[in-house]
Amino acid sequence: MTLAVAAVLGGAWYADRSRKRAGCRSCHAQLEDVSPNHSGCVSCHAGTAAATSKEVAHEQMLGPRNPAQPQYWQDSCGRCHPFQLRRMQANLMFTNSGFIRNIRLTWEGGEQGVYATAGADTFAADGTPLHLLPVASLDNLAGELYRKYCSLCHVGIESRQSWRASHAAGCAACHFPFNADATYQGRDLTVRGKWPYSASHRMEALPGDDVCLHCHNRSGRIALSYRGWNDGNNGAVPVRQAFPANMISGGRNISHIQADIHQRRGMECIDCHTSRDVMGDGYAYGNMYQQTEISCEDCHGSGAEAPRHKVLRREHAAPLREGRSYRRGAVNGDVMVLTAKGRPYSNVYYRDGRVVLVGKRDGREHISKVITGSAVHRIAGHGRLECYACHSAAVPQCFGCHTSYDKTRLGIDFIRNEMTPGRFAEREDYRRVYPFPLALDQRGKIAPVTPGCQTFVTVVDETGTTVRREDVSRFRAKKQLRFAPIYSHNSSTAVPGCSECHANPQFLGFGQGGMRGRSIEVTLLCEQGDDLPLDGYMVMRAGRIKSFAAVVREHSRPLNAAEVRRVLAVNQCLVCHDDAKDPVYQRPLDYARLDACLRRAGDDGCQRRAVSGD
Amino acid sequence: MLVCAVLVTMVASAAPCPATDGSSCSSCHNVRLSGVHAQLHCRDCHAGTGANTVCARCHRQQQAILSGKMASRSGEKEFCRRSWGRADKDFFSTNCSGCHLAACSDCHGSGHAVILPGAKQCYRCHNGYFVGWDFAGRAPREDSVRYQRGPRAQGRYYLKMRADIHAEAGMGCADCHSMASLVRGDKSSATCRTCHEPDKRIIEHSIAAHLKQMECSACHAAWAAQEYGTFYIRSENSSNGEYFRVADKKNNYIRSAYMRRQDAPPLGLNASGKVAPLRPQFIAYYSAMRDNRPQGEENRLLLAQWKAFAPHTIRRAVPMCDSCHANRRRFLLQPLDKRRLRPDLDGLHLESFWRQQGQQVVNGSFYPAARWQRLHSKTPLYRRKYVEKWREFLKTDAPSCAY
Repeated sequence: MTLAVAAVLGGAWYADRSRKRAGCRSCHAQLEDVSPNHSGCVSCHAGTAAATSKEVAHEQMLGPRNPAQPQYWQDSCGRCHPFQLRRMQANLMFTNSGFIRNIRLTWEGGEQGVYATAGADTFAADGTPLHLLPVASLDNLAGELYRKYCSLCHVGIESRQSWRASHAAGCAACHFPFNADATYQGRDLTVRGKWPYSASHRMEALPGDDVCLHCHNRSGRIALSYRGWNDGNNGAVPVRQAFPANMISGGRNISHIQADIHQRRGMECIDCHTSRDVMGDGYAYGNMYQQTEISCEDCHGSGAEAPRHKVLRREHAAPLREGRSYRRGAVNGDVMVLTAKGRPYSNVYYRDGRVVLVGKRDGREHISKVITGSAVHRIAGHGRLECYACHSAAVPQCFGCHTSYDKTRLGIDFIRNEMTPGRFAEREDYRRVYPFPLALDQRGKIAPVTPGCQTFVTVVDETGTTVRREDVSRFRAKKQLRFAPIYSHNSSTAVPGCSECHANPQFLGFGQGGMRGRSIEVTLLCEQGDDLPLDGYMVMRAGRIKSFAAVVREHSRPLNAAEVRRVLAVNQCLVCHDDAKDPVYQRPLDYARLDACLRRAGDDGCQRRAVSGD
Repeated sequence: MLVCAVLVTMVASAAPCPATDGSSCSSCHNVRLSGVHAQLHCRDCHAGTGANTVCARCHRQQQAILSGKMASRSGEKEFCRRSWGRADKDFFSTNCSGCHLAACSDCHGSGHAVILPGAKQCYRCHNGYFVGWDFAGRAPREDSVRYQRGPRAQGRYYLKMRADIHAEAGMGCADCHSMASLVRGDKSSATCRTCHEPDKRIIEHSIAAHLKQMECSACHAAWAAQEYGTFYIRSENSSNGEYFRVADKKNNYIRSAYMRRQDAPPLGLNASGKVAPLRPQFIAYYSAMRDNRPQGEENRLLLAQWKAFAPHTIRRAVPMCDSCHANRRRFLLQPLDKRRLRPDLDGLHLESFWRQQGQQVVNGSFYPAARWQRLHSKTPLYRRKYVEKWREFLKTDAPSCAY
């Protein structure tokens, strides 16, 4: 059946090529084929192949450079790939409605209505119809910020002037990658060296890590952290060939950190992330963490549950279709590991009791270590931890984001494509990657958090009058700074020792500093408070613990006083029971025993004792 | 207290003055002195020939300061000779000559307004990375233009930090650094123990080894500015300089740091063999470009030198036991597999800033690895005190506020 379809389609393309190709090829003789089964010109680009002049030939073209951009994708890619097109139209990377929602929450504009890069009718995650409002009509500071600052990282828009961060619009953003300076480097001499074009006319069915880096190099900076790059202090050093070494968009220079363990083992972004993660599944989610279907536990299991799997039995199963571009695709009868949403991975197998991930591009096998049942992953209370609370090595944190919006100056509105009054500028206080604070995330689990954002807004109106100065926006009806849960994509098997976290209040959000009596005294200070940390959101004075900032996302919050005390109390045991595998940690600690324990131990020290059955 | 060069110069350049006593001077010059100098005749000072020699007539003993370290800059010159001076023999005169004590008036006011110097006068040189600014709760910001914001002092933006408790209590530099001590070339006239006797009821003070082997600042210096990788880039006729968007660019030099921190400083042993804060001063890199082309080796590591020092960030609050007893990084003993930052991959010739290999302490030594093992071993005493400390911290007699 599959063969038959291929034969029919192949025949059609062949006929198409033999009829029209000659015209286009008379100029574009050396242009690369998109792929073995995308070889016609007008089937994607339209235009008049039979014409003898360039003008006539190009007149009716879609684009003409890029037929995959959203104005034309219905008539180009979408004609053969309607399923993918519908997914893209609701995909957060295209609608950016998660972006815009978060900006509104933390800048201005509340929660009424869902805005997106363009107006559209689609379906929400629960299947109900959802109308997306165009961000062009969001007439406030949040709308301005998105249109003038954030919207270049939107796959619907071409970005052409960002070093190592430019991308085409639409499908081509990922499937026809730009190089560092967005110039064509292929064999077609009529286009070679021209800007802005994709590096080649060859389609990339499996986008590489550089593609993800084009956008994911700011904010959470996950594509940087993954490969061991740090958007550090942008101090322009070290030097390489008389330039700041390792430059990236925005005049920033990148330094090195230890790369993510998966990257070091040769895995790419797409080896974990499914097509539904990055292209959506057809429903319009509110946030990327809802669209993303994968989790660490899928391959590694949790303390209590092993990875789940399922046999492929249907000939149209998604893994079979998706695997056609892989070095080694799945076949019917394979046992596939399931994502957190219960859908089969297309490259992760369950074989002989082991979880095996197969590299989509290189076909290399990676045996996943399953941690289910191991003592260190069954510590009482640690069931509340996200894996990456312990397994994150570096978490980018930018403290103090001072943004000014000046209406006496013009700024480019990338959505409306015009210069309008109002230009943004940013200054900052300090960055760090370790240690990092922990708080409750949207799953109610304990995860790293990063400023998201500690925004101080200054607004200058049309007359040059400063109408807001270093102002903290309202969030949840209160002026407060905000932190956001983050998986930084810099995971490591070298986790901190127990007391490295338990005995350091910085991990609980207190900021750097020391302890005195029953108070924590911080040293890096917020300019707007004499005793508040810039690098945290908690205070403890004379035994009283409270937080002064919010953690964004539903169900999220800083740890409360009881939880903070519980974390710190463990230190009383850790000084003797310093092995995470110690059975004492397999059930809740009973501090009433501590005195007896100390007495028994006497001056010889607290001896390690197994309490199971005690 | 002292009369100054400016005053003498001003008078010397004016028209010849016929007056021979103070009363006649004042018929033309409306000058009023205050304090002890008010009793002097104009000629007591103005009959002299050289600026400082005039002051020396009365303040002979203090003159030694003008040939001391603040004037000769011998320490800094010697450091430059071993570091950037190897790449550029004029480095000191180009980049370091700004802070040079030359005359009494540098600290004691100008003209007839003779003053006792306050912290402000000290901060004219003792700012930025140099100890002094920290006393007021100021740390250098990162060098990129992106970080140039916030409050300013001495013409630079600073990061707001917790001030020294002595500054908070209204004390000034001179309260510990008397003129006499400066003249003698001593670091200070008072040490912690001059005023403070450790209270043995405090758990940390009850441990004999702490009091015997550590400087107070090892625990009580709450933070310290630390500059990891100090780059000087010589740039001649190079438009590429525009890509280096940092605050400090002058005299054909671009200055920037690879990373800055302001947390609790690493520890080592000072010249007296006591545990004391250490900081890089400096891990010195040099690059040069001419006509937009590199000249010689880029990012040349000239010296990786640390210094035992006394941060002026004293607080009663101290870190908990683990921040020393369980923290190898604090003693520059970071294991390779615990590294997060990878300066080696950036071509900085160091596996980690927090490893002793390839680095040196100029006025002491790094903490020996074998000794750290002993520090890290949990003796019965350590365990007992450790639990005691956490119990004290977590004691709940007041109701906690569940936010």
